[in-house]
Amino acid sequence: MITVQNLYHSYNKDDNYAVKDVSFEIPKGEVFGFLGPSGAGKSTTQGILTGLLQLQKGNVTVAGYDVKEIKRKMFNQIGMSFEQSNVYSKMTAKENLKFYAKLFDVPTRDPDELLEIVGLEGKGKIRAGEFSKGMKHRLTFARSMLNNPELWFLDEPTTGLDPAIASVIKGIVKEQNEKGVTVFLTTHNMYIADELCDRVAFIIDGDIHLIDSPKNLKLEYGESKVEVEYGDNGKLKTETFSTLDEKDKKKLADIIAKQNIQTMHTKEATLEEIFIKVTGRELI
Amino acid sequence: MFKKTLTIFKRDLHVSYRDFMSLFMIVIPIILAFAVNAFAPGIEDTTVNLVFIEGENTETIAYLEDFAKITKVKDYDSLEKRVLRRDNIVGFVGEGEDAYILTQGNEPEDVVMFAKLLKTYSEYDRKVEDSTAIIKDFGVKTSPTKILWANMGILLTSLLAGMLISLNIVEEKMDNTISAINVAPISRTAWIFGKSIMGILVALIGCSAMVLILGLAGTVNFLQLLIFVFVSSLISIMIGFLEGVNSDDVMTAVASTKMVMLPLAASVAGYEFLSAKWQWVMYWSPFYWVYKGNLSILNGDFTWLELLWHSAIVLGIAALVFAYVAPRIRKGLEN
Repeated sequence: MITVQNLYHSYNKDDNYAVKDVSFEIPKGEVFGFLGPSGAGKSTTQGILTGLLQLQKGNVTVAGYDVKEIKRKMFNQIGMSFEQSNVYSKMTAKENLKFYAKLFDVPTRDPDELLEIVGLEGKGKIRAGEFSKGMKHRLTFARSMLNNPELWFLDEPTTGLDPAIASVIKGIVKEQNEKGVTVFLTTHNMYIADELCDRVAFIIDGDIHLIDSPKNLKLEYGESKVEVEYGDNGKLKTETFSTLDEKDKKKLADIIAKQNIQTMHTKEATLEEIFIKVTGRELI
Repeated sequence: MFKKTLTIFKRDLHVSYRDFMSLFMIVIPIILAFAVNAFAPGIEDTTVNLVFIEGENTETIAYLEDFAKITKVKDYDSLEKRVLRRDNIVGFVGEGEDAYILTQGNEPEDVVMFAKLLKTYSEYDRKVEDSTAIIKDFGVKTSPTKILWANMGILLTSLLAGMLISLNIVEEKMDNTISAINVAPISRTAWIFGKSIMGILVALIGCSAMVLILGLAGTVNFLQLLIFVFVSSLISIMIGFLEGVNSDDVMTAVASTKMVMLPLAASVAGYEFLSAKWQWVMYWSPFYWVYKGNLSILNGDFTWLELLWHSAIVLGIAALVFAYVAPRIRKGLEN
């Protein structure tokens, strides 16, 4: 669905590249996470893929279209949810969706249905300018689904949303992906990436450091540990044991048998920890 | 493309009706026309105002009513107060030998002279029919002041139409929606055309309404007016786009429009006050040519060749300016 080969981009058109020699492929139906801190080159790459930035060097095809010369009809197959909500504040939520729907050459979804999906049912007649930040964000997200996109660009889709709504959004992404929609997810939230993505790419300073599935990364870079909280002679103790080390395994079995266990958690490495380990940088 | 262009136009129109400032700009040509109608003197308006005391000079009043605007007051004190007000009004006091004309003293000489002549004609019972003067005219029935205001109104309407475009673009920038349009299947050209329709229509409808309300329809060739307003509105549209992409909020856009008023006012002043040998000083300004062309249209003496010539000059200057500003507009619409 997306092919990127040796992509370079410089805002000043000099050797100071925001993105350098980036290559990756995303097959149809995959949820691909593009992860990195602010200024890493995520938005630049996404901007080039969506035609918001001009392709300077490299080869990029999106949904079968060469982005060297963007064809507007390409956007009939693409949905784009922006990190910063961008809806017309003087128009109602429904008017916003109806207006954008008229710009597509393909059948579009019912605005009321979309508003209901994102939890904005009954808010269709309210001007977007009166919406909270989270509501505007959900409206932007809903708009990105108008044309039943085959390829869906999601830029920080859960930023600024409360956990319940964020969970709804994640559910929608999973549901769309099950229907065959390819998702290009740009985020610095590793938990969402871990939950949604089939594969992730770590990008720092315009360079992709690695691309793999979260599961493989955890196996490769994580340590299998268990954290146990137990009562010992009236005192609460916490200890961490490796599930691979024989000595630790024996000690853990002994504690389970003799002590009063309060809590017990596996301590597999998070994607964030792996990111820091691989790139040496934190996600800020 | 046409359908999507229309969609953009309909959205702008819809939103403009919800925005006080935009709505104000749409209706201002009509307000302006009514204001000009109310305040600009007509050609039939008298040049002299006279005030009399009620019950005095009844025969003189009956005679003078055909030549002057007559006001009657109840007594001498009231007449004195009326004469002392700031406007130019001449008081007629007493009858026969004791009669005299009362003025403030600062009235234009021709006003006092005209009042004196009227008094003389009245005393000698001279009628208009007694005159042997033969008058020939060119048939112009509209007051020059009204044409001047109408012309400035047309210029202002075109400029405000451009400002309406800039406000719509500023709205898009403030809402950050240009990026959303950039990832929608609509071409930049269709979007720009859609945004421009509003400005062109406001200019065409506003200027036509103004001409109709001002009662100039009899002298104006409407086809010429519409063509020339369309041509001149292209300049305003370009200014509107430039102001829009360079302004981050409404106040900045308004401030930019004020700056454009400067060459506009200079062009009007240049045409009206510069002597013929210095008119070339203003040739650089498209507003000068627009004002000059509009004046001929409003007077009903614009030939088609002149229309073509003036349009070509305006379009030529617009093309030069466009070549300079197009990259900035394009860049401003990229995100």
